[in-house]
Amino acid sequence: MKRANDFAVGLTIIVGTAVLIGATLWIKQADFGRDRSTVVARFHDVGGVRIGTPVVVRGVRAGRIEGMELADSAFVLAKMALDPGVMLPPDPVVLLNESSLFGEWQATITSRDAVGRDEDVKRQIAETSRDDGVLPGATLPDIARLTAVAGRIAGDVASVAERVEVAFDDQAAREMRASVRSFSEMSTLLAQTVREQSNNLTTASSDVRGGVQSLVRSAELLKAVAERFDSSTSRGEVKQIVGDAGEAARQLREASRRIAVLSAQLERSQVRLESVLATSDSIARKIQAGEGSLGMLVNDPTLYRNADSALRQLNLLLADVQKNPRRYINLRIF
Amino acid sequence: MTTAQGITTLGRWGRERVEGLGRSGRFVGDTLVAARDVATWWPQATLHARTLGVSSLPIALYIALFTGIVLSLLASYSFTGAVPLYFVGTLVEKTITMELAPVLTGLALAGRVGANIAAELGTMKVTEQVDALETLAYDPLAYLVVPRVLAGTLMFPIVVGLAMVVGVAAGWLASILLLGISSEEFVKGLRLFFTVFDVRYGLVKSASFGTAVAWIGCMQGLGARGGAQGVGRAATSAVVYSAVVILVLDAFWAVVWLLGSNP
Repeated sequence: MKRANDFAVGLTIIVGTAVLIGATLWIKQADFGRDRSTVVARFHDVGGVRIGTPVVVRGVRAGRIEGMELADSAFVLAKMALDPGVMLPPDPVVLLNESSLFGEWQATITSRDAVGRDEDVKRQIAETSRDDGVLPGATLPDIARLTAVAGRIAGDVASVAERVEVAFDDQAAREMRASVRSFSEMSTLLAQTVREQSNNLTTASSDVRGGVQSLVRSAELLKAVAERFDSSTSRGEVKQIVGDAGEAARQLREASRRIAVLSAQLERSQVRLESVLATSDSIARKIQAGEGSLGMLVNDPTLYRNADSALRQLNLLLADVQKNPRRYINLRIF
Repeated sequence: MTTAQGITTLGRWGRERVEGLGRSGRFVGDTLVAARDVATWWPQATLHARTLGVSSLPIALYIALFTGIVLSLLASYSFTGAVPLYFVGTLVEKTITMELAPVLTGLALAGRVGANIAAELGTMKVTEQVDALETLAYDPLAYLVVPRVLAGTLMFPIVVGLAMVVGVAAGWLASILLLGISSEEFVKGLRLFFTVFDVRYGLVKSASFGTAVAWIGCMQGLGARGGAQGVGRAATSAVVYSAVVILVLDAFWAVVWLLGSNP
């Protein structure tokens, strides 16, 4: 009986211990005798990463975090055990990030070129890069930080919504309804205008198309003229035409020079004519005013009659002189 | 009642409470001293280990089996639409390993083992078998208490460890068969936040429960008075005190190990 007790208790202890240890090792995915490679990465902060956190390469679990220790210069070194046969990407870096919304973290080994455009991540990688065989690493913001930012944004949105709610009273609603109605009418008009303009555009487009066709025809004619021009050039006709044109131009230049001289003379004659006219005008005004002999003669009939009478008498006198010269001319010598 | 009588009553009540603590402390101290008498308690150790441990396996595993099933169903009911179902594995592992397997097994064994010890030792006490042992120059503490306490301390973690495995396995099977969760999903959740600390915490806690249940059963049994009625009272007290102490120790370990820790 005593031996049976000993056996039963011993068996229970052995079985219980073995089962418990085996289950624990299975859950922990412990492996004995496998040739695992180890890489070390440097971080400023490892966030929520713990011993056993999975290491992922191209989305596939490829190992786990085996150890972490504080290093100098405010860095943390994380030792990662990789499964046999895992090949690292070129220029590898390690990103620590949450793999779900429930606090799970993972270490992602990726290429430096595949990091993306996050300036903070690039800065962390640059700061943790050394030529000592340790991979540079960066820690992405966790959900809590992102949620905090989202919370602030939500707060701002709520504030804005509250202000809108305050501002959006019945009067504002009525005005908005009126605005919407006006906008609807305006849209109708705009649509109508667009339709009309569309027709105009269609017409204009047709005109432009016709113009372009005319241009094409003109271009064809011009091409034909050019071809003819080329053929004419070969017989010397153009040279003769050009020579004639040059002679005509020379004659035109000569005519132009003569016209310029004539114009200068005319200008001078005009000046003189203007002076004569001014003088004549002055004389005419004096005559008109009865000034001077001629004015008095013109404006005084008596004087005219006297003058006329005197002229008649003078004619009579001249006739008498011619008839009787001795009466009036007495030529003596001594 | 005069003022003097009131003060006297209060003093008597306080003295009885302190006397109870003092008797318990002295009993523990005397047991530790008696543990030096290895030749007396060693031959009895495996007998009590079988009685307390091996014979308790069926009830412990039965409890763990159904606890795992219910936990997985409860988890899926709570997580529907909000949390990925692979967290069923996480919840089953954490809850079974750290809390339910040690506490439920401890409470079940408090009823079975504590009552058994109290009734057995109480009967020996009221039938003066304990006095006979003393007459035969056996230290009753070394012969009766030490092997039971050692058996409880050793075998409780074994029983609870197996209960952990059975409970998690039951939850796993229930998740696959009843909830439609794939085995890979459950294992993913199982491994997600698993640490060796979870198992260590549960085992250390269960060892303390085993020690407490055996000690309380022995103390209540050896303190039995007045025949069969006294034995019955001792068994009842052993179960009640064991259950209370198990819950107190549960809170104690949570405060000591979990509060502020980040394993």
